[in-house]
Amino acid sequence: MSKQVKIATRGLCKSFAGRPVLDHIDLDIMTGESHVIIGLSGAGKSVLLKCILGLIRPDAGSVFVNGENWCALSAEARLSRMRCIGVVFQGAALFDSLPVWRNVAFVLLQQGMAERQARARAEEVLDWVGLPNIADKMPAELSGGMKKRVGLARAFCHRPEIILYDEPLSGLDPVMSDVIITLMTRLHEEHRVTSLTIAHNMNLVRKFADRVSMLYNGKIHQQLPRDQVDQCQDPVFRQFVEGRAHGPMQVLTEKRKGGSR
Amino acid sequence: MRGATPIQSLLLRAGLYPMLFGQMIRRLLRPPFYLRETLLQCEEVGVQSLPVVLLTAIFTGMVLALQSYIAFHRFAAESMTATVVSMSILRELGPVLVGLMVAGRIGAAFAAELGTMRVTEQIDALWTLSTDPIRYLVVPRFLAALLMLPLLVVLADAVGIAGGYLVSIYMLDQNPTTYWNNTFLFLKQIDFYSGLLKALVFGGIISLVGCAEGFYCEGGAVGVGEATTRAVVLSAMSILVGDYLLTAWIFQ
Ligand SMILES: Nc1ncnc2c1ncn2[C@@H]1O[C@H](COP(=O)(O)OP(=O)(O)OP(=O)(O)O)[C@@H](O)[C@H]1O
Ligand SMILES: [Mg+2]
Repeated sequence: MSKQVKIATRGLCKSFAGRPVLDHIDLDIMTGESHVIIGLSGAGKSVLLKCILGLIRPDAGSVFVNGENWCALSAEARLSRMRCIGVVFQGAALFDSLPVWRNVAFVLLQQGMAERQARARAEEVLDWVGLPNIADKMPAELSGGMKKRVGLARAFCHRPEIILYDEPLSGLDPVMSDVIITLMTRLHEEHRVTSLTIAHNMNLVRKFADRVSMLYNGKIHQQLPRDQVDQCQDPVFRQFVEGRAHGPMQVLTEKRKGGSR
Repeated sequence: MRGATPIQSLLLRAGLYPMLFGQMIRRLLRPPFYLRETLLQCEEVGVQSLPVVLLTAIFTGMVLALQSYIAFHRFAAESMTATVVSMSILRELGPVLVGLMVAGRIGAAFAAELGTMRVTEQIDALWTLSTDPIRYLVVPRFLAALLMLPLLVVLADAVGIAGGYLVSIYMLDQNPTTYWNNTFLFLKQIDFYSGLLKALVFGGIISLVGCAEGFYCEGGAVGVGEATTRAVVLSAMSILVGDYLLTAWIFQ
């Protein structure tokens, strides 16, 4: 398969109240790749994702999807192209007012597919994420892990080529985390979905990532293929991988000078 | 908007209304239209408001009859009660009271609903599911309010006049035929239509303020609470100010 760039950002900048959060981000995501972005809380990972989706207007720079500059498109043109992307939100973001199956089949229903057919498709995808018989429930009746899986079903129901995940494992137990990773891997392998994932979890990185980028100080600090994650000697990257509070990234303000590192 | 001075943020907030209004008008000119959503909102705004609105209207009519009777009794002009009741309800009390009641119900509901959708990223999710959030959420609510408020006002007018009639006939022993005739004798068409015009404008105000407050809400649960309060207070105040301006304009 030829390695084409699916999503590319060029010189993406965004600051809030004068504080730069993204600082000239250049990122290439290849077709069929699963790319994981890691970084500290508040590093701007969600902002990057929202810039790519057009939910936040970047101060400068552009986003290319399938070679087309989406930042130059009108809102309507952009909406019509959104169908090639599915998004799994951190908090699932299911529509409270709609039953589960209408959530899952949302795009299909909007496209005018007959209700019966759309429902059958929704049930099929719900089955696939391991949630049969919940089509008629309301989102409020579901547990967090179920919501996550319904969110995944909704993102995938219209068969997008690209799926973006915002922290797909946050708030899940280890077993449910593995279920989600398995589903993500299946989408990747069986349906050749290109994906961009925001993650805190090194387990997800080791099992799922083809390439990892670390976002730090508004820049892509490191970009590595998966098999080099554990060999990388960069101190910032090591601190994140090993999960230490002390290191080059200062999270806590130091009380004592010369404390332990 | 964070980190702005109070004046700046006030101006920014004030700018949201014309902005959302403009966005809405642009979307009204071209399909797709969400009929299902619009009908659902019509039910929410119109049908669900009926009990509150009718109860308000009947008691307003009743108290109005009582009060004007007392006033007219002092100079022996009791027969004017009917005219005063019908005219004040049609021109003024019907639209304003319906507007205020609906502002409390619907303005708050719109702001809370859209605000919650905003802070739980449901509005972002709509966008990623290739659905225009303004088209899907705001336009149906706006249309429903524009359509339902005049209808509610017509019903409230009828019920209010009926309330006045009941009190005058059964409590104040007025002659039913004379009362009924006096109710309509001095009315002009403008009395009725000016009320409908007011209702239309109030419907626009309520839905625009409620939707804008919710749609551009930020700051989590606290933000939703503040947006809801602002929606009710602002739309109620705008209704009263707008009512004066409209009345003065119609009066010319
Ligand atoms: N709408 C906004 N207004 C102002 N500042 C914002 C806004 N959105 C994000 N920020 C700021 O941008 C920075 C990055 O936020 P972002 O949500 O991208 O972090 P993140 O990397 O996703 O963190 P986490 O892993 O905790 O989700 C934060 O410091 C935040 O305060
Ligand atoms: Mg985030």
